[in-house]
Amino acid sequence: MKRNILYGLATVGIVGLVGGIWWLLAQPTDGGYEPAFFISTGIFLLVFAAISLRWMHETAAALLGAAAVWLVHYIGGTYFPALHIIDFEESMAFVDWNVIWLIMGMMIFMAMFSETGAINWISFRTFRMAKGNAWLLVMSLVILTAVLSAFLNDVTAILLVVPLSIEIAQTVGIHPFAFVIPEVLASNIGGAATIIGDPPSTIVGSHLGLSFVDYLVHMAPIAILCMIPFLIIISLLYRRDLAGAKEQFSPALMARLEADAHITDFPLLRKSGLVGLLMIILFFTGDYFGGIPPSVIALSGAAILVAWVRPDMHRMLHEVDWTTLIFFISIFIIVGGLEATGVIAWMAGIIGDLAGDSLKMATILMVWIPGIASSIVANIPFTVASLPIADFLTATIPGAENGVLYWALILGADLGGNATILGSAPNIVAVGLLSQAGYRLGFGRFMRDGVPVAIATLLLATVWLLVWY
Amino acid sequence: MGMILCATRGGEASYPTQDAVISLAKERGDELTFLYVADVSFLNQTAAPMVVDVASRLEKLGQFQLVMAQERAAAQDIIAQAIVHTGQLRAELVVVAKEIDATLIVMGGSLGPDAAFENSALQVFAADLQTETGVEVRILGSSD
Repeated sequence: MKRNILYGLATVGIVGLVGGIWWLLAQPTDGGYEPAFFISTGIFLLVFAAISLRWMHETAAALLGAAAVWLVHYIGGTYFPALHIIDFEESMAFVDWNVIWLIMGMMIFMAMFSETGAINWISFRTFRMAKGNAWLLVMSLVILTAVLSAFLNDVTAILLVVPLSIEIAQTVGIHPFAFVIPEVLASNIGGAATIIGDPPSTIVGSHLGLSFVDYLVHMAPIAILCMIPFLIIISLLYRRDLAGAKEQFSPALMARLEADAHITDFPLLRKSGLVGLLMIILFFTGDYFGGIPPSVIALSGAAILVAWVRPDMHRMLHEVDWTTLIFFISIFIIVGGLEATGVIAWMAGIIGDLAGDSLKMATILMVWIPGIASSIVANIPFTVASLPIADFLTATIPGAENGVLYWALILGADLGGNATILGSAPNIVAVGLLSQAGYRLGFGRFMRDGVPVAIATLLLATVWLLVWY
Repeated sequence: MGMILCATRGGEASYPTQDAVISLAKERGDELTFLYVADVSFLNQTAAPMVVDVASRLEKLGQFQLVMAQERAAAQDIIAQAIVHTGQLRAELVVVAKEIDATLIVMGGSLGPDAAFENSALQVFAADLQTETGVEVRILGSSD
């Protein structure tokens, strides 16, 4: 069904492109929707489908879309002015550079911190401290993942925690799904707690010009609250698996586990720990220093660590994941095209009509539309495209000035991502890691756990927003 | 004495193959080497920031999986070697087969939802591998 929906989207994209060309040839424009409106919509939907259906790498699809926007604008627009979408200079204004620099700064810091082995060491200590209590072990690792997601980011947390969790699960004789699926779901919930936790949080928080603390006071309480129904559901779903844990472990496996879980670089741990602490202090006190943006703090931390550790800079730059940065820049450009041609205003008008003047209805729509959409399609382009809609609704609906619709968008995009494997990047990465250990996590098996957690947390978030705001 | 090379990822789906190849090594009096290939190509499916050294983490995961395989072999009085490589399965199988002078390459048959290959794809893969290495390739542990 998901595939059919996405193929439907791609078809609408192609029809949009063909419709735009037809419109161009059939009649001279005299106001109303111009061909550029349809063509920019078509490009966006095709990129969306290409990403969600895995036709090509996400970055390749987004880059191709951005190039298409410019080519149509410059080459098509030379012959037919109605094809002007957005020029290069205008599109640069749509790129949120705060997001790009924040992600880059955190990537440099995380690349160095991840080499210390600290997370593996903590995971192994957790295993030891649980003393054979499988429920306590899983819950501890799940909470560790949620906290790491909030302060590093969700994908990094999964890459750091899941491989060792698979080994721990095999050591205690429990199916690795009982560890990994809850960790993935926790990473998506924990990621919502801070502005650096996951991409929708970073994109919306940066758009609003929020400091780390501004964001934290609104989102951390609901993220923590969402952990309660999540932990209850997970405890119920895995009660039988966790009851079957071994009490005696193989000495060879324990030795191997311990070998994988030691601190690998103490000087680096000391330096990155101090810089990380400094960054956290600055994140919390940023408002005192003239509202220093999180991107400046992240980049400063990365710069200090680079200067202190003196890593091989070529290797360091190689470890920055440029594909992510290019993906974000390209998506901002494509969505900029949608804004410039009036597509976003048109969509906002439709949602505005549905909501009327009711802030409650608008809040419900802004939680559940992104929530459902994030379970089917890529949530980053969806969030970027939804932001101007949230702007429009906030400006037009009485009482929305408190920002509730932005919080609704973040919670919808983050928590909805738990419903299916495709819902967010940590889910896809965890499936790949499990596959590398010989465990194939299918769509239906993930949904068995993901859907109830997504529904319960989205419901809780909706109630929270309606009551609190 | 020959040398059997068995590629394995670990996991419950691979246990029948591991048991079968251990029995085969015992029966033939051959040496046995397990190979785990850490393949990071799955990271290409998403544009999320990948700053962790995933290959190195998967190599550790592979070493763990092979300790489990070696324990299964030891339970049947077979001492198996373990090799972990990073790359694509087929290319690494060819490299390792030459390195250790393998006389037989063993792969696991398709067993349920955790299997790496469909049976038909596995047959084609095995035939191509045999042509490329000149070493007999056998599929064990299949449910067929």
